[in-house]
Amino acid sequence: MRAETKRTERRGPVRRRPIPTLSEPEEFLHALESVGRGVRDPVAKLRFIRTSLSRYQALDRAVRAVPSAPLRRLLYRWLSLEGLHHLLDDTSSLGASPLRVNFATRVSLVLGRAAVVGLGLILGVSAGVAAYRYMRPPAAALLAAPRRVAATPPVLAPVVDPVSSIVEPTSAASLTSAGVTHAAIWLVEKGPQWELYSNGLRIDTGLTVKGTPRAFRVFDGEGTLDPRVYSAPVGLLFHTSESDVWPLEAAYNENLRGTSQGLLRYVQKNRLYHYVIDRFGRVFRVVAEESKANHAGNSVWANAGRVYLSLNHAFLGVSFETRWEGGKALPITQAQLAAGRNLSDYLRHRYQIAPEMCVTHGLTSVNPKKHLIGHHMDWARGFPFALFGLPDQYQRPAPSVALFGFDYDDDFLKVLDQPWPGVKAAEAELAREAARSRRDVEDVRYERQTAYDRWTLKQQSPDDTDKTSAPAATGAGSGAADQPGGGRSPEPAAGRAAASTSRPEGLQ
Amino acid sequence: MTIAEAGIQGGRAMDERKDHLWKVAQEAEERIEDLMKAGSNPVGLDVGTSKVVAAKRKGKEIDTGAQLNAFIPVPYSRFTETILGQNEISYYREGDELIIYGTATEKFANMFNANVRRPMADGLINPKERSAMPVLEAILQTLVPKARAQGEVLAFSVPAAGEGHEAQLTYHEATLRRHFESLGYRPVAINEGLAVIFSELEDNNFTGIGISCGGGMCNVTLAYLSIPSMMFSITKGGDFIDAAVASVTGEQPTRVKVIKEDGLDLSKAPKDKYEKALRIYYEDLIESLVQKLQQSISQADKLPRSDRPLPIVISGGTAKPRGFKEMFEKALSSRSLPVEVSGVRTASDPLTATARGALIAALYEK
Repeated sequence: MRAETKRTERRGPVRRRPIPTLSEPEEFLHALESVGRGVRDPVAKLRFIRTSLSRYQALDRAVRAVPSAPLRRLLYRWLSLEGLHHLLDDTSSLGASPLRVNFATRVSLVLGRAAVVGLGLILGVSAGVAAYRYMRPPAAALLAAPRRVAATPPVLAPVVDPVSSIVEPTSAASLTSAGVTHAAIWLVEKGPQWELYSNGLRIDTGLTVKGTPRAFRVFDGEGTLDPRVYSAPVGLLFHTSESDVWPLEAAYNENLRGTSQGLLRYVQKNRLYHYVIDRFGRVFRVVAEESKANHAGNSVWANAGRVYLSLNHAFLGVSFETRWEGGKALPITQAQLAAGRNLSDYLRHRYQIAPEMCVTHGLTSVNPKKHLIGHHMDWARGFPFALFGLPDQYQRPAPSVALFGFDYDDDFLKVLDQPWPGVKAAEAELAREAARSRRDVEDVRYERQTAYDRWTLKQQSPDDTDKTSAPAATGAGSGAADQPGGGRSPEPAAGRAAASTSRPEGLQ
Repeated sequence: MTIAEAGIQGGRAMDERKDHLWKVAQEAEERIEDLMKAGSNPVGLDVGTSKVVAAKRKGKEIDTGAQLNAFIPVPYSRFTETILGQNEISYYREGDELIIYGTATEKFANMFNANVRRPMADGLINPKERSAMPVLEAILQTLVPKARAQGEVLAFSVPAAGEGHEAQLTYHEATLRRHFESLGYRPVAINEGLAVIFSELEDNNFTGIGISCGGGMCNVTLAYLSIPSMMFSITKGGDFIDAAVASVTGEQPTRVKVIKEDGLDLSKAPKDKYEKALRIYYEDLIESLVQKLQQSISQADKLPRSDRPLPIVISGGTAKPRGFKEMFEKALSSRSLPVEVSGVRTASDPLTATARGALIAALYEK
């Protein structure tokens, strides 16, 4: 058996360990082969064989001293079985079954251990009785009653729900503290092609087109699809337009205007975004708010125990005229910032959108086939959440990773160099889950990716729904929920009258 | 956060951009290489003369991907470069040439009736090829991107040294090792035949003979309980057959390769001069292989004295044609080996067996 060539020792793939030769008894090798056949996973089997062979020399000397051949064979077999114990916990394996050791071998292992324990007990008890009889210690009164052990409740590790762990309150108070102005926002004036709001927001409505009515369904954290169909937007998704970006100088005025017009026509034709904010800070409503826009594609977000897949319907798309380049968005203008902040304040105010539901496309976009994040990268870095009075979503555990085990690839790293902190945080959650369940992280990922596939299958695309079936609540005063989360979204008291006049058709 | 920190521009000039990149919210075309995905998993790699095959764990399954280990230079022109770019063909520019590499190479070679060039020959980095290492690195890059975590294990296959090629093998292995280290991996070399044993002889406790018949050479390893006892290689493989058949038929080796891979059946009588020649040189290769196997086992001074017959498993692209196994069995039966053979079988997937075995070695080393 000792037959490695010199070349093999120099270049072989695995740690070189002494192996038994055929001049030595073959009983151990027979036992090893016999037990090895019970291991089903190739890596586990390889590890078992190699580890057993390395232990062999140390143990063999002792076992060979046993004069009885049957007893020696029994000992060899038991030692081989004991070599399996690490496989029962180890997770770095291949193969379809989580059980890498077959049933018969497990039974043998258990029986072997039981026999050893039994033998040990018999010997121990015998020795104890003999010693007791020999020493005959006087009975002590205190020993008559068993000593009480203080009952301490077991400390359980808190169970972390990947959904609720990223949940933050969405009350009106949090909305205020997160930076929304206390003053109500109302429609001050309305012209044939524009609207003016009390916070200074002016929306150009001349290009507004309608599309497919908004209708979407929501999962809870357990994967149960809420049967109700919702019609009111629950979130904002910020985009970059990926169009030409000219220097913001008077000399380029024609180019700046021309590019914006081209962009707006393109967005309108393809119904891409609800709002576009051009370089001069002008806000255009391109797709009506009650319609869905084709802005999000395959995407994932979660908040308050609710999970949203494919956000075209559930989220309003707000696009800044700029482009993503060199791993970041080119700077937006001060006018765009001011307009964007006013617009997001207005939309959040109007639809009672939680700050945690205002996020960028790059943070939500996924490739479902490959289970990769970052399919689109706009604002995957650098969106000024703080200046919008919004929480830093880059720090939040990415739901696509935490809930569905999505990964990222080399192309992603080429663009971003490293993922945003929320991805790392979500990966840490996966790692903790893997450690808790004693599995490989990849197994946990795989399980969650499979769950994503199941959920997406389960989700009936609103586009495919029978258009005659009305959403759960669209009409005013229906009393049903038009936003997931239970109650109908309360209209701000001061703004109710004004907003009701400016509200596009079909909303609330 | 200040406005400047937030990246807000106040009238400052920016780079002029004219190319439109309109973003429509639709999913992009499926990218070609699944294996471009950098994983946190170990990688198994079969660095063969003809093909490079990578294996990675994906959930409970093994994911494999392959690239042709070949290239063809074409004169540089802007038009050609545009065409290559539009067709997503792997290339890079070197001086006044465009080096097309990987799987697309074969198409170009057939199109221009030219021969492909190989960065490797006889299982090792081709010393006669000036562009060997840059091309090989480019090909490897398509399958094995930078390691995401420093020290990820990557097991790559190396052949057994042929007589007089020991120094070349050391260079080959060290060069690849350095390349993978530069990508952040912890590289581990595994003998090609042993990798076949790891992937195919699990049921036999990794005991038996693994044979990998590749493009440049055939590698053989005999292992007992995963420990290699004997290994050798012969510098005859698919390329030898292609070249030999080409020389007697007057055809280009690239064309012969296409004929060979287009459903060649060695169990049937040859239909034309190509098949006739192919059969002759297949027989020659197998004869050389079996002869060397007999010789090596006879000369091995420390072979396991097993009371069980040893299985033989054959893998590699050269072993793919129907009838190869039967031809091998016939050649084996005409000689008496010092060890008893329980049977000969072809690997479950001959093209990926080495890479899958390398992956098992990588997982073991993890």
